[in-house]
Amino acid sequence: MKTVIKREILLNIKNMLIWSLSVGILGLICILMYQSMEGEMKDMADAFSNMGAFSEAFGMSTLSIATLKGYFATEIGAVHGLGSCMFAAIVAINIISKEEEAHTGEFIFSLPLSRSKILTAKLICVAVMLIVFTCICTVFYLIGFKVVGEEVSTDQFFTFMGRQLLMNAEVAGICFGLSSISGKNHMGLGLGMALLFYAYDVMGRVIPDLKDYLFIGPYSYANAAEIFTDAETPVKAIVLAVVILIAGVAYAFWNFERRDLAS
Amino acid sequence: MKENVIEISHLTKNYGKNRGIIDVSLEVKQGDIFGFIGPNGAGKSTTIRSMLGFLKPNAGSVSILGMDSVRDHEQILKEVGYMPSEAWFYDSMRVGDVIKYAADVRGIDCSSEAEMLCERLKVDTKKKIKQLSLGNRKKVSIVCAMQHKPKLFVFDEPTGGLDPLMQKKFFELINEYVEQGATCLLSTHVLSEVDKYCKTAAIMREGRLSMLDTPHIDDETFLSFYEDEEE
Repeated sequence: MKTVIKREILLNIKNMLIWSLSVGILGLICILMYQSMEGEMKDMADAFSNMGAFSEAFGMSTLSIATLKGYFATEIGAVHGLGSCMFAAIVAINIISKEEEAHTGEFIFSLPLSRSKILTAKLICVAVMLIVFTCICTVFYLIGFKVVGEEVSTDQFFTFMGRQLLMNAEVAGICFGLSSISGKNHMGLGLGMALLFYAYDVMGRVIPDLKDYLFIGPYSYANAAEIFTDAETPVKAIVLAVVILIAGVAYAFWNFERRDLAS
Repeated sequence: MKENVIEISHLTKNYGKNRGIIDVSLEVKQGDIFGFIGPNGAGKSTTIRSMLGFLKPNAGSVSILGMDSVRDHEQILKEVGYMPSEAWFYDSMRVGDVIKYAADVRGIDCSSEAEMLCERLKVDTKKKIKQLSLGNRKKVSIVCAMQHKPKLFVFDEPTGGLDPLMQKKFFELINEYVEQGATCLLSTHVLSEVDKYCKTAAIMREGRLSMLDTPHIDDETFLSFYEDEEE
């Protein structure tokens, strides 16, 4: 199984480096821009904090974007949240189905490994990809903090990155389950889902009636503005995320074990 | 009395409302080169893919080397060398890496056998898979199927895309492995291959299998199997 894990990682590493460097460097550039924009930020912060529901949706009613913490939470938080979620969807949505789509299934599944073992190897690969992605982005953001010479609470920062990783894992878990359904390319579905989850979260924060159901979406517990203002830990949302993650993975194993493989 | 390497009993597989194979029973003895012929869509690949666990049969059972195809799936694949009709690998990999990957997953060092096979089949291990023609991909597939010296070979239309010299070398290799005790199931459309190399044969038509008295049949008889299908 180690050989398959190694091969899967090698097959996905280029994709992971492109995404992690893109999101990480974009985040770093945003942080570095904070210094040049610091003066103008104060006026902007006042304006942004008075935009009613939209200020609330993007966390600008509770955090001032004139501070690095507020700026990071509102700007980089959104960039990382969306970028990492799209990456998680992309890496997981085709990890199983690609074998049938590219007709490599007859090669890999004729080797003496059970389907479960091959799926386990692919699951480990997805987990490694998400962890390394998060680590690379974390390093870029920390470099940014160091360069601008301002400190952000380590606890809050690592809680944010940890929750983002869980959000990525939840999305990847759903996509892993979907990937087991058939041997077709589901890239559009994965990306669409990532964007839909983001839109759901924004809408949920703007529309009062949706607030009670916000916890269903994966962005709810990974919201930077809430984490950086030490809001109460959304236990219900986190528990649901873990349940959905486990359900997605369990479905993939159950479904893939019982179905025919296309040639 | 030689042992049965393959025992298929009343195997049925359908794809929803579409016919797959119906009540197929078959025995292949150790040391045999078994010719498996029939028109396109008759069910040859379905039978092979059910044997190897790619498809989940609706009824019946398959025993390979005395092991149950469902329960002992992994163990069976250790002893089988399979070459699918279309040889696809990961495009970004080099030929040598694909061959080594297949050996590594099996957990055995096949380097000397792989080297011998690559030399005889003229496989360039340095090339990337995406640079290969169908024939050259098939040669890589042959090396992957043979390098671990399996007890059973399963070839699904193996010679399509291979030039005549490579076809000859391929059958030379099969004969050598069979002489050493291996068994071969060969699905093909080529009458001369069945006539020249197979010891026993069966024909598949409309999902049903019939054993042939002899693999040495003439052109007209052979073509009649296909014509009947069209009528």
